[in-house]
Amino acid sequence: MKVIIELFGASRDFSNQNLLKLDVANDSTIKDVRNKILDYLDINFKGNENFIKIVNSSAFCSNDNIISDNYKITNNEKIAIIPPIGGG
Amino acid sequence: MLHAKIVDIKEKKISLLEAEKFVSSFDYGASIYFTGTVRNQNNNKSVIGITYDSHDALVIKSFEEIYKEAEFKLKIQNKAIFIEHAKGYLNLGEISIIIAVACKHRDEAYVLSRYIIEEIKKRSPIWKKEHYLNNESNWLKGNPIVHEKD
Repeated sequence: MKVIIELFGASRDFSNQNLLKLDVANDSTIKDVRNKILDYLDINFKGNENFIKIVNSSAFCSNDNIISDNYKITNNEKIAIIPPIGGG
Repeated sequence: MLHAKIVDIKEKKISLLEAEKFVSSFDYGASIYFTGTVRNQNNNKSVIGITYDSHDALVIKSFEEIYKEAEFKLKIQNKAIFIEHAKGYLNLGEISIIIAVACKHRDEAYVLSRYIIEEIKKRSPIWKKEHYLNNESNWLKGNPIVHEKD
């Protein structure tokens, strides 16, 4: 199945399309998605250390709610990656 | 009474006049206007501008939560709060955020204004990309949003 990840903040540098579409196994959780993103970065950015740090310190959001690492993804679900924040 | 908005800088600039209009009332004896602006130095680098990014829906939700918390945490019942944050590219000196608060008395207005900006820094999904004189740019490191890992 597929998951669509909207990119925000520093994670926008992961793609010039402002989102990632990744294939994940059925019943995947956010934890699995996080690992899939790390695989994607390994392939496309040779494991860029800054990018890896961003992914490991990010939260994820679905339907405008922050979700836990155990949250189960549904097919074609759109989620957002929320890197460490700092506005004002 | 709350006004909370993310303003896309391509459409309009955020305005102190609008903030003043919103919080002005004979009910309140104290008002404070806080603005955040783009400054020209950070970490020994010459900054020429900042791009602000935002998850709009989550940011507005966080502003609403902060507003409600002021009621039960700070015990400030009667108040007007105007919060606008800019999104997009801002030049030096331009306003990135306005927090206007109006309360009955100055003590609660000062507390409330400070509380709001500190909570926004901790909780609202907004990001800054600084642009430097040497043509480089960099997303600033922020604070991770608290979430359950397990």
